[in-house]
Amino acid sequence: MAATNLTYLTCIEQAKLLKTREISPVELMKESLDRIDRYEPTLKAWITVNGEQALTKARQAEAEITAGKYRGPLHGLPYGVKDQMHALGFPTTLGTRVLDAHEMVAPYDATVIKRLAAAGAILIGKQNQHEWGKGGTIDFPYGQPRNPWHPDYDASSSSTGSGIATAAGLCSFSIGEDTGGSVRGPASCNGVVGLRPTFGRVSRHGGVMAGYSSDTFGPLARSVEDVAAIMEVIGGHDPLDVLCSPRPVPHYAHQMNGDLRGMKLAVVREIAYGDGVDEEVVAAFETSVSVLREQGAIVEEISLPYAKWAVPLQMLSTDADVASWFLANYLRDRYDRFDVGTRTRLASSALIPASVYNRAMRARTVVRAQVLDAMRKYDALLTPTNVTPPRLIEAAQESLGSADDVIPKLIRRRIAHYPFSLSNVPAMSVPNGFSKDGLPLALQIASRPFGEGTVFQIGHAYQKATDWHSQHPDLQKTLSVA
Amino acid sequence: MDVTIEQVRVLSEMQGLSLPEGDLENVALRLSTWLTAMEQIEVEMGAEINAAEPIPPVFPREEF
Repeated sequence: MAATNLTYLTCIEQAKLLKTREISPVELMKESLDRIDRYEPTLKAWITVNGEQALTKARQAEAEITAGKYRGPLHGLPYGVKDQMHALGFPTTLGTRVLDAHEMVAPYDATVIKRLAAAGAILIGKQNQHEWGKGGTIDFPYGQPRNPWHPDYDASSSSTGSGIATAAGLCSFSIGEDTGGSVRGPASCNGVVGLRPTFGRVSRHGGVMAGYSSDTFGPLARSVEDVAAIMEVIGGHDPLDVLCSPRPVPHYAHQMNGDLRGMKLAVVREIAYGDGVDEEVVAAFETSVSVLREQGAIVEEISLPYAKWAVPLQMLSTDADVASWFLANYLRDRYDRFDVGTRTRLASSALIPASVYNRAMRARTVVRAQVLDAMRKYDALLTPTNVTPPRLIEAAQESLGSADDVIPKLIRRRIAHYPFSLSNVPAMSVPNGFSKDGLPLALQIASRPFGEGTVFQIGHAYQKATDWHSQHPDLQKTLSVA
Repeated sequence: MDVTIEQVRVLSEMQGLSLPEGDLENVALRLSTWLTAMEQIEVEMGAEINAAEPIPPVFPREEF
């Protein structure tokens, strides 16, 4: 593992140094941009970087902090966003060849971008992703993203660059988008913390998404505290998003006291010990459960027998929503310009009969009711985030050749994510170990709607007792292998 | 339900999609997978599905 340096500090640690002027935002920004120059040719975490603009804003932040106008813990921190939301001055490429250049011009700033700017965070650029934010891209127009722990391995989908850039210390944090695991998957595979918030907690305004009942923007960072601090900035009501909740955002730090005494947690048997769960994943997960017990939590095991249906139900409902948008936009007249993985997924979802869609939406309600019933009895549910360690890039591609590919390529990587996506509850991935090949493993913590504070409390207590989140990839070694 | 390549060809034409020959088997495999799963879900959960409303959980009304 590499020695910790400035760019591998957490947001909160960097913020303390910035506030006390032990470092300047310019110094931090230059470090980040230098790392991007060095490692981006291999990692391919970014689609667009505007270093000159970022340095200008870093100088402004430096002047403000020097003048005593410190805005808070994100002031002066460099960050990136999945290229699925608009940010003025940057093209919104969506990681696709489908759009022409004039169609990528951002019309306005997404609400998340505006809120981060108001908090003083500095946008470096837009991050690489699976096409349109759909998992399954095989040929990436902006380069094959690579896992910073080993370049031959997959960095998951679809907020791929957001996971890579955060893990590799190319920025302080990232904002991804999670419909069915697109924040949690990259967080897990790259060894960082990633949160899918409750639907409605974060405005979707300015995002380019079509899964209207499941899409969420969520942060990726190097600690639970960081993610909580970011959520305090980006969460909260936005009149520009009709589905955004009016609930006030709590001050999450008050809940992160490291004490889990009296908290009741449950391991979801079907996910943690289901078919195909890798033994290294199980071992790391069980060790994590022991740590939480030592922190005072009561941990039991429960069954959610309908959880196994979450993947097909999400595909039959949310994917059909998405496909209906694409049928009206691009799929009919630009089919050949889509990646084969994206277009075959969209085409199959476009053929789902409306009667089946309706039944799937009803069944989704039933599955969600089972998940929520468990959450009435327990403060949070626990599973591995991914049931296998990161796979080699080729093995992870959704290139279907036969029915034998369906479970390993279409279902297994989603099996732990979709029950909570479908239920629209908060779920967070926290690093919890490494495979024998040195690839990150992760624990998933899910809680009740708007229960982000509980998720943070558990994740923070876990991180106080472990140091997995403090380990970082040795990028010189990664470059030497590539 | 095993969806055939010919069925995919007809259905996609109904949607105004002209799929290349090379994609038909892939699409048929995906669609077969999800429709087969739904048949199994109906068997396991059918009565509960009948009693549920198909409302997306975008305005949570639960007590949380």
